[in-house]
Amino acid sequence: MIAPNKPAVIELIDVRKIYRVGTELVYALRGITLKIQENEYVAIMGASGSGKSTLLNILGCLDITTSGQYILGGQDVSKLSQSKLARIRGERIGFVFQSFELLPRTTALKNVELPLTYTRTRNRRQRAVEALGRVNLLDRAHHRPNQLSGGQKQRVAIARALAQKPAIILADEPTGNLDSATGEEIMAVFDSLHEEGQTLIVVTHEDHIARHCKRVIRLSDGLVVQDIQTQVDAPVGSAVPPVHASRREVMPS
Amino acid sequence: MKALRMAARVLFFLPNQAAAMASNVLTALVQIWANKVRSLLTVLGIIIAVTSIITVISFVQGFGNYVTSFLRGLGTNLIVVYPEWIRGPRGEYLRPAEMDINDIRAIDAQATAIRRTAPRIVTRAVIEYGRQQINGVTLVCTNEQYQPIRNVYVDLGRFFSAVDVENGAQVCVLGRDVLRQLECDESVVGDFVHIDGQRFQVVGLLEARGSFMGENQDDVALIPWTTGLKMYPERRNYLAFYVEAESEDLVPEAEVQLVRILRQRHALKPGERPDFGIFKQDQVLKQFHQMRLVATTVLAGIVSISLLVGGIGIMNVMLVSVTERTREIGLRKSVGARRRDILLQFLTEAVVLSTVGGAVGIALGYAIGYVATLHPKMVEVEVPLWSVMLALGFSAGVGIFFGIVPAFKAAIVHPIDALRHE
Repeated sequence: MIAPNKPAVIELIDVRKIYRVGTELVYALRGITLKIQENEYVAIMGASGSGKSTLLNILGCLDITTSGQYILGGQDVSKLSQSKLARIRGERIGFVFQSFELLPRTTALKNVELPLTYTRTRNRRQRAVEALGRVNLLDRAHHRPNQLSGGQKQRVAIARALAQKPAIILADEPTGNLDSATGEEIMAVFDSLHEEGQTLIVVTHEDHIARHCKRVIRLSDGLVVQDIQTQVDAPVGSAVPPVHASRREVMPS
Repeated sequence: MKALRMAARVLFFLPNQAAAMASNVLTALVQIWANKVRSLLTVLGIIIAVTSIITVISFVQGFGNYVTSFLRGLGTNLIVVYPEWIRGPRGEYLRPAEMDINDIRAIDAQATAIRRTAPRIVTRAVIEYGRQQINGVTLVCTNEQYQPIRNVYVDLGRFFSAVDVENGAQVCVLGRDVLRQLECDESVVGDFVHIDGQRFQVVGLLEARGSFMGENQDDVALIPWTTGLKMYPERRNYLAFYVEAESEDLVPEAEVQLVRILRQRHALKPGERPDFGIFKQDQVLKQFHQMRLVATTVLAGIVSISLLVGGIGIMNVMLVSVTERTREIGLRKSVGARRRDILLQFLTEAVVLSTVGGAVGIALGYAIGYVATLHPKMVEVEVPLWSVMLALGFSAGVGIFFGIVPAFKAAIVHPIDALRHE
């Protein structure tokens, strides 16, 4: 199952998140405990309202927990200030969004450089070029988003997420705005990043996207209802469903 | 040690800060260029304000230089004494008081602070030369002291002498513009012209002086005052005179002396209104300062209103821009931008916008100044560097003041809400 000698990149201990909507309290996360190891390739699935967006926001340090602990790379980040969270987002987390979120009128290269300007990183140009190289888009470095196809835009976004060499990459429905062929192309990029050792978390509701991942966490009503570890040595991009996956049913606490 | 560490930190961060700032400015310029028309309309108020600043300051400066140089040309020690109108018992004006040559002689003899005097009678005359005739030439009747007192000299021929004045000789000195109007060249010196029908020999030509406040100073003819009095006996009542003090410092003393002498000679009782007036050049300066004050007040009014309008415009457009770009703000925050980074970005944008407006205003101000100097009677205007700095400072200040609210609004947006914004 989980190799015990590998350090946990992410550790959630009984994480709860309660929103107030008007006078009503919404229990978005009701006690989530999980560990994600280095180089894991995780899909987070669930119906809308299951809490997967909230979980993603907390994992991405965009939001803080109501209670419970979030330990990222050994550091407790559950109660950090806005500006410290911003710093962690910039240095340790790479986001990939459904609708790419590239700056218009700005070249691919400049878009990739953006996170580096906020973290005051040196050699920005060089690192941005490197990141674009990893997604095979060097020839489009000086194109603006309106000159790129959807798949190319998403690859620029992935390069942007990679530029900082983040501990984890969080992708929120990365293929949601793409046709299925282009979606596969993007997932192939993720697959190869996984092979290079990158830790990846993909939020999706599509099974064929989740099939790329090596572990599937299913949420429902703010709880983890299923956490399946697929075969670690399964071929990349395998369309074979994880029949022999080890299973761990997590009951609501 | 601590200070050293601080310095090291500053040195390490400075290039990065500068790079962040440069990228903010670049983003701002891209935004402005992407919304050209909107940006232009937004900064219209700033443009008007800055254009007014530059135009008014440069005009006031130009006139200031002009007045100063005019006064310098006048001679700094000059006082003009002229007869006042005598008033009747009900305060009505009766006739000008009469001063006579003995007043002048008494001042010459008694006032120690006064170096020299020259009588002055001015009238308009007709001058004829050959078939040419010109009307309304300023005819100044004076004596041989006129040159040093008024600081204006003959540059061809000679001025009339004390003997000419003594004898009431029919000699005259002409200004360059009179020559031009008579359509003759400098060979007229030694020749004869007719002034109001009387034959005068031209003995010299005055150096060209240009115009002051639209009045041509070369459209002038000078004759001995004794000759003038013979020709125009009724102008006796208008006899005024120039007085030159021994030095600039002695101007007040000279004034006191000549007032005492004149009051005594005119048998004025203490407290009685003098029947003569005194004009000194600080009165010209006072008038000019008055004019400058009015111009500055009007300027301040225009500038504050248009800066206010421009500032509100900038605030408005920045608020719109923040709303339009909420997702961009969310993205920037998700890749590591802190509140202060976003604040700085939008503040920079407001300041760049207003400063670009200021730059356009400066260019317009220069253009207006240039166009104005094309008019022949206009003084040379000059745009002082400090007014450019002032204008840029004002526009940047407006950007900061009115940009802070939108920038703050952008900075406090929660990244999750921002990324969900449609």
